[in-house]
Amino acid sequence: MKRAFITGMGVISSIGSNVDENRKNLINGKSGIAKASFMKSRYVDVFPFGEVSFSTEELMKIAGIEGEKGITRTDILATLAFQEACKSANLSKDDISAADTAFLSASTVGGMSMTDELYRDGNKMGSPSDYLSSYICGAHTLKLVKRYKMKGISTTFNTACSSSANSIMLGAKLIKSGRVKRAIVGGAEGLAKFTVNGFNALRILSPFPCTPFDKDRSGLTLGEGAAYLILEPEELAANKFIFGEVKGYGNTNDAFHPSSISDDASGIVASISQALVSAGLNSEQIDFINAHGTGTENNDYSELFGISETFQKIPPFQSTKSYTGHTLAASGSIEAVFSLLSMKYGELYKSLNFTNPIKEFNLSPISEYSTDCNVKNVLSNSFGFGGNCSSLIFSKV
Amino acid sequence: MFIKKMYCISPQNTYNNEIFEEGTEIHTESQFWAKEPRYKSMVPLNLLRRMSKSVRMGVGTAMPLINEFDDIEGVIIGSANGSIKKSISFLNQIVEYNEGTLTPTDFVQSTSNSIAGTLALMGKITGYNNTHVNNGIAFESALLDALLLFDEGQVKRLIIGGVEEISQANYNIDVLRGMFKKETVSSDNLLSSGTEGTVSGEGAAMFVVDACKSNDSIAEIVDVDQICFPDKNEIVDKIRSFLDRNNLVPDDIDALFLGYNGDARTDFYYDYIQKQIFQQQSVFVYKNLVADFYTVSSFAVWLAANLFSGKSLPEETMIKKSGKKINKILIYNHYEGTQHGFILMSAP
Repeated sequence: MKRAFITGMGVISSIGSNVDENRKNLINGKSGIAKASFMKSRYVDVFPFGEVSFSTEELMKIAGIEGEKGITRTDILATLAFQEACKSANLSKDDISAADTAFLSASTVGGMSMTDELYRDGNKMGSPSDYLSSYICGAHTLKLVKRYKMKGISTTFNTACSSSANSIMLGAKLIKSGRVKRAIVGGAEGLAKFTVNGFNALRILSPFPCTPFDKDRSGLTLGEGAAYLILEPEELAANKFIFGEVKGYGNTNDAFHPSSISDDASGIVASISQALVSAGLNSEQIDFINAHGTGTENNDYSELFGISETFQKIPPFQSTKSYTGHTLAASGSIEAVFSLLSMKYGELYKSLNFTNPIKEFNLSPISEYSTDCNVKNVLSNSFGFGGNCSSLIFSKV
Repeated sequence: MFIKKMYCISPQNTYNNEIFEEGTEIHTESQFWAKEPRYKSMVPLNLLRRMSKSVRMGVGTAMPLINEFDDIEGVIIGSANGSIKKSISFLNQIVEYNEGTLTPTDFVQSTSNSIAGTLALMGKITGYNNTHVNNGIAFESALLDALLLFDEGQVKRLIIGGVEEISQANYNIDVLRGMFKKETVSSDNLLSSGTEGTVSGEGAAMFVVDACKSNDSIAEIVDVDQICFPDKNEIVDKIRSFLDRNNLVPDDIDALFLGYNGDARTDFYYDYIQKQIFQQQSVFVYKNLVADFYTVSSFAVWLAANLFSGKSLPEETMIKKSGKKINKILIYNHYEGTQHGFILMSAP
């Protein structure tokens, strides 16, 4: 059985347009959550957002595709993270397009981020927009496949907020089974009126920047972004910097409710346990947990319950959603990048906006940035609507 | 992996296999709508009323299987658009009520994973659960996911399926994209129409699949592959390497199931592979029965598995007959000429 090593990564979020910028803000405890400038929604005056601080046009210029038609917010975020990841692993054009390179992406909103355009095209109002082929969830994947002439396996996941964790999981399996030599895995999500109104209808948007794991948490903050990892087996990774290894994974369903997790967190317990078993690790060997930690009443309670069930001694944990907001389908891969940064630099980032622990657990997330930590194994959780639970374990090589 | 049992909802009478007794139905509409069964015995009415069509069709095809086999360990669904009608309905409300106070029901159901999520919830299937939405190869990706999961040896039985519903908004958008024929066409001459575009269809096909063969396995799904934006020679090379990986050559294939959809712009791929490497095989088609949709290859798998189980397929599905007994089938389907999927099936 081969091993899936991470040899490159790229990320864009509200705390930076690349890996270095993201890390700098994580070190400095600087959140990207603020009043949105580019998204058009009446809720920009009501809720803060984790918006990437460039317009779509500016981002297209950075990506070198200015003037191209039909590019959605999701598309351009995906493109930038994809470019950085490929560059970071020194992939050539031929490597990217090779038949044994897989591209696995994820999104929930996809091109529906163009909410108003979709409304007009779908209802045949006015002349057709440039986005006719851009709305569908998998469009961002297909556009990158076309742009980079990729001939290998591609897919797009939509398991709501656990989507890109599943890209990483399937990519690792493809490498381990020998079916592919390389996998570019992750997800992308643009901020959209569609999701803002959806989460508002569910009444789980926080009027303040989200406060994960706080007793008085008031909901989640929506964010946007994208991240991709490059996975390669040993023989291709030999002369490259190895950020870590996808060591274990679990995928389960909570089978409790369409949009919330059970109080006994059975899906969470099962996905964490599966991940530990497949990694061949016991819970004491996990040095750090990058929690899903959305800041909703339901998630944070259930997640802490699930963690308490699976760990006798709970390792340091935090939620980087307090920096980026909840980037939905992209969150699994963005947080994978952050987990791998912790591992590479031996540093743990603090969780922001936390004051008082939830009384049933009395557990506090990391409160200070710290260095000289030997982070060998990281657990990263992602849970979504539809009962989808995914847990990943990244290990130092 | 081995198909044990399956159900299919399509624009034909497939739910109770009537199609094999009564033959096919001719469609002349611009959209071929699915013929849905009575769900009442399967789903409480109050639940049913709230379900999107794709969730309903998913439940209608999967729940009888989940009820019959109590050891299903996971659910993997391919659905490019999921409950698209709910998404659009929610989106329309956002715009029309100027982001006013909305009810979240449509939003929660709008995510593509609501089909797999509902099956997990109703069937209490707490294991592996995944949803692929990659347009015209979403079902092929679901098959790959299942093959890899079985390879790991942790699970023995899964439910997998492809589901797609027509929504008016997406139909409108696809019309604007030039996907569909401008003229009215009858299903019995769709494939010979010689004009641009195809017709829009929908449906669901759901399969119980096992890692191991058993006495009542009806067909084997041996392997799956895909390629995007190929030229016609790349397709031939891809098929050769796909077969080679499975220790086969083109002559080992006894029958082809091809995704001809009557679109004069893109049907040439199917002609070309027959001319180049598949001259001796029987050839079957299926979009003259159910039209085209993103996960239509799940219908082709259902049809091929029926052939293996000894059913006589409707005569309209066979466009070329060879004398060879059919043991190995290659399903080749592409969507708009962009995403091409290959599914290798075998008699069990």
